[in-house]
Amino acid sequence: MSTLLFRSGTSWLHRANPLTKLCGLLWATTAAFVLPWPAAFALAAVLAAWGVQSGIGGSFVRRLLLLIGPLAIALLVIHGFLMHYPDSRAFGPLTFSLGGVIHALRILARLAAVVSASFLFVATTHPADLLKSMDASGFPPGLSYLVASPMLLAGMFAMRTRAIHDAQRTRGLALDGSFWTRLRALPALLLPLVIVGLLEANQRALALHGRAFRALPRRTVLDPPADSRGGIWVRRFLVLAAIMQGGLAFWR
Amino acid sequence: MALIEVTDLTFAYGAQAAIDSVSFIIEAGERVAILGANGSGKTTLAHWLAGWLPTQESEATRGNVTCRGRAWQDWPLAERASFVQYVGQIPSQQLSGQAFTVRDEIAFGPENLGLPEIEVRKRTAECLADCGLEKLAARDPFTLSGGEQQRLVLAAALAMRPQVIVLDEPVTNLDPAGCDDVLQLLAALPASTTVVLLDSFSRVGVEIAERFLFLHNGRVSLDGAAAEVLLHPDAIASLGLPSAAEAAWLARESGAWNPAAPIPFSIQAAIAAFQQVENAPR
Repeated sequence: MSTLLFRSGTSWLHRANPLTKLCGLLWATTAAFVLPWPAAFALAAVLAAWGVQSGIGGSFVRRLLLLIGPLAIALLVIHGFLMHYPDSRAFGPLTFSLGGVIHALRILARLAAVVSASFLFVATTHPADLLKSMDASGFPPGLSYLVASPMLLAGMFAMRTRAIHDAQRTRGLALDGSFWTRLRALPALLLPLVIVGLLEANQRALALHGRAFRALPRRTVLDPPADSRGGIWVRRFLVLAAIMQGGLAFWR
Repeated sequence: MALIEVTDLTFAYGAQAAIDSVSFIIEAGERVAILGANGSGKTTLAHWLAGWLPTQESEATRGNVTCRGRAWQDWPLAERASFVQYVGQIPSQQLSGQAFTVRDEIAFGPENLGLPEIEVRKRTAECLADCGLEKLAARDPFTLSGGEQQRLVLAAALAMRPQVIVLDEPVTNLDPAGCDDVLQLLAALPASTTVVLLDSFSRVGVEIAERFLFLHNGRVSLDGAAAEVLLHPDAIASLGLPSAAEAAWLARESGAWNPAAPIPFSIQAAIAAFQQVENAPR
């Protein structure tokens, strides 16, 4: 499996056209910024429930909690106890602000909705399907590649990271232990990865060129994901709604 | 008109000259092996032969490479990709990064050419079969072994139906069985396909090529048939002798070989020659 986050399945969400799901993600992201924060929380909860219903529950909820949990604690501590708000009250050496807590919850709700929607998208959409869908819809091949290749190559980079980790360990680099030990080891892990990545990027660009990538404005696509006229209209509606929501969020 | 003409090509990476005043011609259908030690300029030359130099480095210090009389820079991308394909020594770097399965990886090039779907499917199926990849068709290309990836890269190149295929140390990372597979594939290519092999060892070259060039310090110092190039002291010093030739040489030294008989270079030629010695009236 070359993708880190995708979980295969047969749910409706798995079978839905990737571009429609991408438009849905765009809509949910902008909606999170215009909805009141309790509604944004509700949106995040609905999306999480949808993930569970689609059969990606375990890893989906776990990843969500792992990302949102620490952020929630940090936001509540910073805004509730450390930052000064007009309603801040002192309790001994600490201050507490209800306004700060509500502000933290507002940020958290938006983050939760955006992260839930993103996780739901990547967990149910194989990058190759997204790529084929974009190609079949007439997007320029370069744009499709830009969107999908980071997801396709993520698995390869994960393998390479493990290989570099093992290689450095066999050379005696201490990679376990305290936070500082791990932090000190980080450059030795990251630098080879970045250097190899840059070298490979050049080689891959040449390889793509050698196989006529972007030679023509449209490619032939074998077995593109199913699409329908209704799906196209749903996408148009979602994009329009997202633009309006984005404009509203910006205007406010 | 020559198929590929390299004229006084000199190219340097900064101050470091990689190839120096190289000139030769390759005719259509020729099987050429360009041999040289590490650092002799093989990969740079291979990139030039395949039109693979990145834009910022595409200016030669001197000379150029033309194909059917046109410089690579003047070839439209689709036309060039249909004409020449390059297979390098690190297969994972040549995967598109845009295909989830082996089948998709092979189809990637023909899809880019905008070929009809039926033609893309036909080419993909043929290349899967020819390269023994049918059982791996649904696998992720990045999870294949090095040998399997090399066969995949070769299959992807062949799916473009190129007239010229440039192979840069294609069996370096393969085990003997993988090497034999690649040799069989190359032997099965249509006679009209021009094959240019660049390698540090003569083993693959002697099996497929009829003409040999010896590259030394960025210059072509020898150009001719196997006997003229591979038995030259400079080539022996750099490359050693092919195992078949070495066996025959030792046999001649020990008197078990007719001194007038030619030295064989490929395994097949050696077997035939030893059989002749065996069957000769004593």
